Order: sequence, then C-alpha cells, then structure tokens
Amino acid sequence: MIEIRGVTKRFGSFTAVDNLSLSVRAGEFLTLLGPSGCGKTTLLRLLAGFEMPDEGVILLDGQDVSHLPPYRRSVNQVFQSYALFPHLSVRDNVGFGLRMQNVPAPEAAARVAEALEMVSLREQADRLPHQLSGGQRQRVALARAIVCRPKVLLLDEPLSALDAKLRHNMQLELKHLQRRLGLTFVFVTHDQEEALTMSDRIAIIHRGRIEQLGAAGEIYHRPRTPFAADFIGQANLLQVAVVGRNGTTARVRVGGGLELTVASAELPAGARTALVSIRPEKICISKQRLDTENLFEATIEEEIFQGATDQLRLVTTQGTRLHALVANESAMQEAFHEGDRVYCGLHLDDLVIVQAE
Amino acid sequence: MHAPADPAPLPGDRRHPGWIAWALLAPMVFWLAAFVVVPAAILLVYSFCERDEVGGVVFRFTLENYQRVFDPVYLRIFARSIGYAALTTAICVVVGYPVAYTIARASEVWRHRLLLLVMVPFWTSFLIRTYAWITILKQEGLLNGFLQAMHAGGGPFNLLYTPAAVVIGLVYAYLPFMILPIYGSAEKLDNSLIEAAYDLGAGPVRAFSAVIVPLTMPGIAAGTLLVFVPAIGMFAITDLMGGAKVPMIGNVIQNQFLQARNWPFGAALGVVFMLMFVVTYGLLQRRGARLAG
Amino acid sequence: MKKLHSLLLSLATLVALPAVHAAGEVNLFGWSEYVPQEVLDGFTKETGIKVNFETYASNEELLSKLVAGAGAYDIVQPSDYTAEVMIRRKMLAPLDRQKLTNLKNIGPQYRGMVHDPEDKYTVPYMTGTVGIVVNTAVVKDPIKGYRDVFQPKHRDRLVVLNDNREIVTWAFYALGLPANEVTAANLAKARPVVASWIKLVKVFDSDSPKTALLNGDVDIGIVWSGEAAILWNEDKKFQYVLPAEGAHQFVDVLAIPTTAKHKDEAHQLINYILRPEVAKLVSDKFPYTNPNLAARRLLSPEQLANPASYPQAGNLQPFRDIGKAAADIDQLVTDLKSAN
Ligand SMILES: Nc1ncnc2c1ncn2[C@@H]1O[C@H](COP(=O)(O)OP(=O)(O)O)[C@@H](O)[C@H]1O
Ligand SMILES: [Mg+2]
Repeated sequence: MIEIRGVTKRFGSFTAVDNLSLSVRAGEFLTLLGPSGCGKTTLLRLLAGFEMPDEGVILLDGQDVSHLPPYRRSVNQVFQSYALFPHLSVRDNVGFGLRMQNVPAPEAAARVAEALEMVSLREQADRLPHQLSGGQRQRVALARAIVCRPKVLLLDEPLSALDAKLRHNMQLELKHLQRRLGLTFVFVTHDQEEALTMSDRIAIIHRGRIEQLGAAGEIYHRPRTPFAADFIGQANLLQVAVVGRNGTTARVRVGGGLELTVASAELPAGARTALVSIRPEKICISKQRLDTENLFEATIEEEIFQGATDQLRLVTTQGTRLHALVANESAMQEAFHEGDRVYCGLHLDDLVIVQAE
Repeated sequence: MHAPADPAPLPGDRRHPGWIAWALLAPMVFWLAAFVVVPAAILLVYSFCERDEVGGVVFRFTLENYQRVFDPVYLRIFARSIGYAALTTAICVVVGYPVAYTIARASEVWRHRLLLLVMVPFWTSFLIRTYAWITILKQEGLLNGFLQAMHAGGGPFNLLYTPAAVVIGLVYAYLPFMILPIYGSAEKLDNSLIEAAYDLGAGPVRAFSAVIVPLTMPGIAAGTLLVFVPAIGMFAITDLMGGAKVPMIGNVIQNQFLQARNWPFGAALGVVFMLMFVVTYGLLQRRGARLAG
Repeated sequence: MKKLHSLLLSLATLVALPAVHAAGEVNLFGWSEYVPQEVLDGFTKETGIKVNFETYASNEELLSKLVAGAGAYDIVQPSDYTAEVMIRRKMLAPLDRQKLTNLKNIGPQYRGMVHDPEDKYTVPYMTGTVGIVVNTAVVKDPIKGYRDVFQPKHRDRLVVLNDNREIVTWAFYALGLPANEVTAANLAKARPVVASWIKLVKVFDSDSPKTALLNGDVDIGIVWSGEAAILWNEDKKFQYVLPAEGAHQFVDVLAIPTTAKHKDEAHQLINYILRPEVAKLVSDKFPYTNPNLAARRLLSPEQLANPASYPQAGNLQPFRDIGKAAADIDQLVTDLKSAN
C-alpha cells in the first residue's frame, strides 16, 4: 500500500528521518513507536505531504507521491490536537473533506451521517467543536478523516490528550473500527503499551531510523536490539560471555558468575559475548525448585505492589540484579516478602539474544 | 460507542468582575465618560436645538435639523461618502489581507521588522504624508515625471484632484488600520487547521476561502470597522487630494461648524453619523459571532 | 433649559480654557499664519509683557469660542463683517484712543469703514482683496473678470477658494446683484450661474490655493491677494487681476472683547503693532495690503510693485454680516457641488 524507500528528511544540519525504508501493507495497523523527538511525526508528515523528502521516494499504491501536495494524496490524518475547524459544526467538520472533493451533496450527507453514527455523535451533529468534550472531539477528528475513505489513515498520537481510562476505551474502539472497516492505519505513539495493544505490526523508530520492525508479539518477545529491548517492557539486559556450546544450546556467564543456558540458534558461530534480554514477567518465582532449563536462587530485596502485579527486585547468589513481575491474583498463591529466598526459573525461549559479537 | 458526559461549562462565564476590576477600569471609564459620553450627549442635545445669527445655539426644541438631514441633498452626500468608504474598505481588505497574512506567517524576526514598517507612517503627521502624495500625483510631480521618462504616451496625466486620488489617499491613510487587526487574527491562526484543510483535499484557494478567511474574520471585521466608519467621515483627504469638489459628509459637518454657523444641524448630522457607526458595529458583531462561533 | 445651557457652556469653557491671566500678560486670539512671531517677541522684549497666542482658522471659530463664553481673550482679530456683528452684539469694548498714539499711521481710506463707522472698536491690521491670478505663461487670452475665468475652455484648469460665500458673491457680482443682499430671490438667480461654474473647477482650496497653481495642476485661480502676492514673488508669470464686475475687499482688524481682563496691555500691543517698523514686519511675512501708510514707506519698491499686494484701484466692496443666510448659501453650494 505504502512503500517508503530510503527517505531522508533534514532540518538544517539535523537529520530527522535518516534513509528510512518501510512498507505498509493494505489493511494493517502499523504503529510507529519511539521516544519523543525520534522523528515519528516527521515521517508521518512526509506521508501526509506536509513535508517533502530530501532523498528517497514514497509510493502510494505504486504511484510516486513524494512531491505531491497533501490535497492530492488519498491519505488522511488525524491530528494530535485534532485540528477541528472551530467555526464549523460537527457535521460540517466531518463533511469538509467531501465538500472539498466535490462529492454530491446528498451522497455527502449520507456519508457524514454514517460516519457520525459510527462514532456515536449523531446527537452532537450541530454543535461546535468547543462545545464538545475531549473524547468527542477525538471522535469527530476520526470521523472527519474516515469519511473520506482514505487509502491510508495517519494518526499522530491521537489519544495522548485523553485521560487514562478514556484513552484505554478509545484504543479498543479504534482497533475495532480499523478491523471492521478494513482500513490501513499508520499510527504514531510513544506509548509502548498502546502500541502493543493496538498494532498488527510495530516499527520502533530511533534517531530517524527503524530499529526493529515486526509483529507486536515478535517485537515484545524477540527484541533485536538493546534499544528495542529496553524501550519495550523494561527488560533485564545482561551482558554475558559465551563459555560453551552444546548442539542446540549454549552456556553463557553473567559478570558475577551466574551461568545460564540459551538457545544457540540465535548466537552466531564464533560470538564471544552477547547481550541477553529477559522479560521480568518471564522469570518464574517459586519457593520450590522448578523444572526449567535454568534455575538459580535469589533473595527478594524489595517488593513493590502494583495492583495486578507485584514487582520484585532480586539479587542472585552471584550478585546479579534482576527485576521480576509476578501476578498478584489471590491469597491462595505463594506470597513473597522482602528477604525471602526463592528459586528463579527461566525457559530457554525466555532468554533472548539481542546482540552478539 | 458511549457518549461521554456533557462538556464542562465554557470559559468566560464569570461575568461579574469584582471591585478590583472596577478600580482598574476606573481610568478607562472616566476617559470614556469625559471624551465620549459627554461630547456625544452635548451633540445629541444640540441636534434638537435652534441657532442664532452668529452661530450660537438656542435651546429651543426643534426637529428641523433632522428633517434637513433627510433632505435628498444630504442623503446623496451620505450615500456618496458611504460609497467611497466602502470602496476604500474593499481595497484595504484586498491589499491589506495578503500583507497581514504574510507578516503573520513570517519568522519572528521578520515579523517584527515588517510590523515596524507598517507602523512607520504613523511617525509623521498625517498632513505631511498627504502632502507627500500631492507631490507624487501632481501634474509636474514624481509619477508624471517618471511616466514621461519612460515615454509613456499621452501624459502628463491628470491624477491629482480626481476621485481616484481621493481613493488612493483614503486607502493609504487607512491601510495600517486594516493590516494590524488582520495580522492579529492571522497570527493566532493554528497552522494545523490549515494543514487539516489541505489534508482533507482543499487546495490553496479553497483552504483560504473555507478556513483561513472565516477564521480571520474577526480581524477583517475589526479592520472594516476601523476603516469604513472613519473613511465615511474623512474630509481632509477629500479636500487636499480631491480638490474639495464633491462634498463628503465630513465636509458638510465641518462646514456647519466653520462656515454656515449652524451647529445644531452639524450636530444632527453627527448624531446620524454615530448611529451609522453603531449599526455597522452591530452588523459586524452579529456576523462575526456567527462565523467565529 | 437655562440650567442645562449654563452647564454645557461651562463644559465648553473647560475645554477652551485659555492660559491663566496674571499681571504683565496679554492673551491674543488671532488667525493662524497671520501674526509673525518676531512681532510678539519684540513686544515682550520691550515691555516685559508676556503674549499668550492662540489661533483660529475661521471667523466662525472665533465667534463660537467667544459665544461659548471663553472670555479671557484680550485681543481678537476678526474680519470686518464679523467685527460688525460683534459690535452689534456688544462683544467688543470701545478703544481708548489716548493709548493708541500710532493710529495716525493708518491711511484715511481705512478709517470709518462700514463695519465700524466711528473707528470706536477696531483698528485695521491688514487688508486684502479676492482676485484672479492667471498663469500668463499658459493662458494667453485676456482675463478681466469672473465671466472670463469661468469659460468651458478653462474646465479643470481652475482653483478657487473653498468658501461658499465667496463663490456665491462672485456670481452676484457677475449678475450685477448687490453683494450683501443674500435673499432667497437673489440666491435663486445666482443658482444656475454657480452651478455652471462649479462644474469647471478643479480644486477648491482656501488654505493654500497657491499650491495647485505652483504645481501646474491649474492655470487660473480666484484667491486671497496674499496668496497671489506670494505667487508673483515666486514667478512674475502669475499675474493678479481684480475682477471688473467687483471684488471683495476685506479688512482684518484688531479689537478688544468686552470680557478682556488686560485691556491696558491689549492697548499697548495694538499700539506697538501700529508702529511703522513693526507693521512692516507683518508685510514682509504676509504680503497683504498694509493699511499702515507709514509702514508702506519702509517697504521695498519690489514689495510695493507687487500687483496683488497693492493692486490698481478697482470696484472693491466689503462683506457685511448676513446672519442666518450663511446657512442658505452653504446649502446651495453643497447641493450644487454634490450634484456634480
Ligand atoms: N520544522 C522543523 N524544523 C526543525 N526541526 C524540526 C522540525 N520538525 C521537527 N524537527 C526536529 O526533528 C526531530 C524529530 O521531530 P518529530 O518528528 O516531531 O519527533 P517525534 O514526533 O518523534 O517526537 C526533533 O528533534 C525536532 O526538533
Ligand atoms: Mg510527534
């Protein structure tokens, strides 16, 4: 649907998007995820046509649109600030794009009504934007873009202005809407949970480049770079030395002496050191010994109550520090306290090599 | 999708300023009273009075002055003054809008420089600036000299003391009063709204007419008010650059005080003129309220 | 009503409040561009009396300020017909001739004029005429009177005073009507003449009619003689002609309002201005006709040869006060102008 090939965008001497290539598939929900200032908005604006690339091309449905103005591209954007026209009613805001594209009035009216219905704003059709709540405005912005039936809908942190609960609802609504209409979404956020909740695929952007691109689960479970591992889900990152190989597995040693077994498939032959990522919730904590490929003992240094989960800060016998998450489901479960000595179990799959040399 | 609760009350609902606000407003209230309300009241009283032979006001009630205002002679002059003012306003909008918009969209440094340029004319007296135009437009003036140097045939052209000269003078005098308010609203215009218009398929022209103009309408309205009404009453320019050939309502009012010794009639014309201001203001206000929401 | 009137009067006074009066001061209320500053400075230097100078731009302005009760002026400078109405309305104080030792310098033809037949209230300051100035480099036909000026061939080549009474009076002259009998019947007769004249005029300007002539925008003007004199000084091609049908002669006078607080100082200043060498200063700056014959003897031959300042004798007549008819004239001319 969209092909971005080697696109570079500079502002003065600063390179905001750096030789970036990416293809967006029809009907997918692709999220651009990255910290603030990494170039997400700039990339989106390049797609929308508000910025022109210094190098590279952007293809939309096979057609080179790199230098077409925004009003000649069949993509639409939902702006972070919504950018609703303050002088137009909800109905006229939503109908604006159709009017500009000279869609006949009766058809336009029907499509506007349909779009308003879709976002449950039929009642508010005659209000002005300043008479709406934040969530309602958000949905007007959405309806205004969707009603144009764009090939791709661009959304720049559309939920960031909403409070947590409303935001969570809207995440689900958006995802639902995207699936139901079969639209292609390119969604920008700096919130990794939001990205994981909504996306089919996630592109992690770092300093104007794609750090890793993959399905949400893959990004989460198999981070490919230290940045990706760290940015998503606060992984435990351990610098290890390779001490031996044995068929499909390999032995690695952490600084303090803790030795672990990892799958050797991801460890290139001849690699001597590696960076291993361990998701906190993958560490099985128990007072009993566990039947896992890796098992070691640790002391609970600190326990932090987080509602649904408890976060535990652990120190292994060898002095390696780790943090782990355990479900906080019921009183029947083993309760952990500060100072307890526990067993920590890790399956082979849960040790992810993100870098090796 | 469930509709969230109604929005919070709109800002601006605190309509009852406290005593501190009143204290702060006091100088302004005094100023208004002393220089607007009282003179207007005097004018109103005079307009219902008679006059004596030396031009003194005799305090005897009469409606004669107002009957005279509606004499076709003066109605025609009102109409002509309004016509000139309307043309001036239209030209000021057409010329001033792009200028104001460009300034508002320029970088901060340039914005300040350009604004300064707009205001430079205010540093010299209005009469001197008008005389400068006379030097440009007169028969042996700069413009004719230039045209002759360029060998434009048919010269020297009769430029000064024509209706066109009057309009040039009026536009020149009032253009800053159009530029500044439009600049004010264009500067506040959120760029993402313009981008949204483009994004939704509006080309530059339609983005301009459907979004930019409506959103800067308060500036246009304020500029119109600042240009249109004073231009109706302007007499110095019609005298100096138009040769005082066709009287404007300002000339007529001035004459009542300085030549005809008829203050009450001048006052009646002035009162009607003020009413026109109020009406214009009301109309613009209604329109503005409708457009700006 | 009475109370309201005095309230409004005091408000108007508040606005027009002149300088505070104290001993050794005199408050002069005069025409703008008519009294040289060096005259006032010379007077102060000699007598130690401070002169507070305020100006006005028309007789009506002077009248309305005085009528409104702004009473602290010690000398005013009305034109003859305005002085006449002021005398009639007892707004001027009789002069003390004993104190005006230089009065003898005023020529006999400027004494006992109609506005003040016994010279009781006023002293002539400067006089002048309203006449025709012709750019003889362009206009070759002889111009003798109003009818020669207002010819279709001179369309858009004319500047005239922007003064409705002047314009109507010229028509009266051209029609042989008495200049000061502004009756409805006479106005009706003048109307078509004024109407046809107005169409021919390019510029109406009372403040500086010489500008349009100097700039080459027009070739003929009917203007104050002082303006014509300046034009002649600039270039001898600007010739001054007193209209054969009759011309307006005006005399601007010095007088003391009845409400004056410094009558003694006022007399001193008037007497000072009547001195030949002082009156000459006025002529140097404002080349109208100087009624002070002793001063004229001090003028250069060039100044005396200026045909606008010292024209050949003509049919000269003063304006008389016409009271409320001023408004009828105003309406007539406004109507005709706006019909253009
Ligand atoms: N118009 C611009 N001029 C100069 N620098 C810009 C401009 N737009 C963005 N940048 C810079 O480019 C970088 C990336 O910006 P942006 O794409 O907005 O980041 P993000 O949306 O990921 O937070 C930032 O450092 C920002 O300062
Ligand atoms: Mg951004």
